[in-house]
Amino acid sequence: MALISTSDLTKRYGSSVTALDGLTVDIEPGIVGLVGSNGAGKSTLIKILLGLIAPTSGTATVLDLDVRTRGTEIRQFVGYMPEHDCLPPDSTATDFVSHMALISGLPRTAARERTAEVLRHVGLYEERYRAIGGYSTGMKQRVKLAQALVHDPRLLLLDEPTNGLDPAGRDEMLELILRIGSEFRIAVIVATHLLGEVERVGSHLVAIEGGRLLRSAPLHEFVEQTGTLAVEVDEGSALLAERLTADGLAVVVDGRAVLVAVSDQRPFDLVRDAVADLELPLVRIEPRRHRLEDLFRDAPP
Amino acid sequence: MTKATTTPNNGPAGSIYDIGYRRYEGPRLGRANAIRSLFVHSLRSSFGLGRGGRAKIAPVILGILALLPAVLIVGALTLFAQFAGGDQVGDEFAAEVPVRYDTYAGTISTIVILFCAAQAPELFGRDQRHGVFALYFARALRRSDYALARIGGFIAALLLLELLPQVVLFLGRVLLSPDILAGIREDLPSFGPVLAQSILSAALLGGLAMAVSAFTPRRAYAVAGIIALFIIPNVVAGVVVGLGSSAIGTWLSLLSPTTVLDGTNAFLFGTRLDTDFFFLDLPEWAFVAAALAGIAGSIGITVRRFARITA
Repeated sequence: MALISTSDLTKRYGSSVTALDGLTVDIEPGIVGLVGSNGAGKSTLIKILLGLIAPTSGTATVLDLDVRTRGTEIRQFVGYMPEHDCLPPDSTATDFVSHMALISGLPRTAARERTAEVLRHVGLYEERYRAIGGYSTGMKQRVKLAQALVHDPRLLLLDEPTNGLDPAGRDEMLELILRIGSEFRIAVIVATHLLGEVERVGSHLVAIEGGRLLRSAPLHEFVEQTGTLAVEVDEGSALLAERLTADGLAVVVDGRAVLVAVSDQRPFDLVRDAVADLELPLVRIEPRRHRLEDLFRDAPP
Repeated sequence: MTKATTTPNNGPAGSIYDIGYRRYEGPRLGRANAIRSLFVHSLRSSFGLGRGGRAKIAPVILGILALLPAVLIVGALTLFAQFAGGDQVGDEFAAEVPVRYDTYAGTISTIVILFCAAQAPELFGRDQRHGVFALYFARALRRSDYALARIGGFIAALLLLELLPQVVLFLGRVLLSPDILAGIREDLPSFGPVLAQSILSAALLGGLAMAVSAFTPRRAYAVAGIIALFIIPNVVAGVVVGLGSSAIGTWLSLLSPTTVLDGTNAFLFGTRLDTDFFFLDLPEWAFVAAALAGIAGSIGITVRRFARITA
């Protein structure tokens, strides 16, 4: 059983704007990165999955429920963290999250208990009794996550969860998402335009562009086919490139760095041996972070 | 990656133990419960409950002002009962006081309007301003459920504001009357009209105020819009009458919520409208019809608004 299944899903706004264009994809439980540039159709897809907007044509099911007819049931078991602000500044985090728990169908006592637990899980302690208006962006993002998590959903839809966060806040949010997926065992879909974030937490990647599916595959397949290892040496990069080419690797020299295409474990050993044999002054070896555009350029149509 | 787990064996007493994530296995109450919860939340929010201290100032002051006439009258009745000794004087006073069941709604109508202008934008305006309604729509609620629960909660708050003083008045009159049972027998028949008038008034004023505030996230615009809606038709009707078109002016007065409620009040209590200002020779059911149309129209517009808003 697929967690989410869409077939030829299309959404048009008016006659000119096509947000989703015949999207067919099956998504299995896990932490799934939904990647696409701004306007690729990520938010539209999430809203259709929640039953918030109706597709123009095609079908979609979530937890085996049809989004067109079973929207209210789906939303009982799904948590949603929107991209935009959605918190009333004059409520405290405790009041607001427990209110959302009640709306989500939890009885009063359970709502109170789970609010306390969930706020602790997302890392809000004493400040949860203060009005949300005084919170930092990082704390607000945590409250947004807590309200999506409070009713113990089967599926969590996160729309750009690291938006507006500084690097430290970003790390903490990704860490939380990883915990939710692995430790809490809740299926998570993270919509983002930052491929690097998906690489850190995701197990599966769905890439969309212009409302169409580019690729859907386990993350390691993406890395295998598009991964690049940057080997930076103080001198002798040409020498290194020569040696690695002789070893049968695809290599490009980029200033002091040698870029090596990585498809399996073999290149790592070859690079190590080559650098050691040639006694080159090695500065660093690092996987080259791909920008999203690279992925999309390299991906088969 | 280091895992954030505590080690209970070497932690000092009082350390926080991470008990891990617990699944929720209990009941999930569904749509009806979501509507009820949102209704109660709206009712409480209308009085500033569950929000900061500043949010309580306006509703508390207006609530006290709405209660004041009833409290004063009951106080005066008490004094008369004590000092006059005889029941005669008290009865005469009670017959003379201008604040009675049939006039109470009119007496506090300004306060109810101010309450609408101050508090209705707090519900829809706040949800729109901060994007909260997107979270409600992502729950087991339909969009119309959301709109109706919010409107219903606010109307219930207005009903409380209007009925509570009259309950005080009722209790005061009954307890001060020499024969309590007779007092109940005398006052109880008034409660049908009191209830009906309060429901009509709360639903019409509340429905209109919520309809205005559904269309703008800006509090100031909503407040101005609500006040304008409650006052301008009245003024326009007056001007038209003043210009000599009393027939048109009279029909126009059906667009004025306060005039309509004066009319339903007269209809329900069997009193006569003060016709010094307006030439109101409309059939009395016309006011009730206008009130019901206004209620249905304003709620319909609001539901439609939230069916179309982009979440």
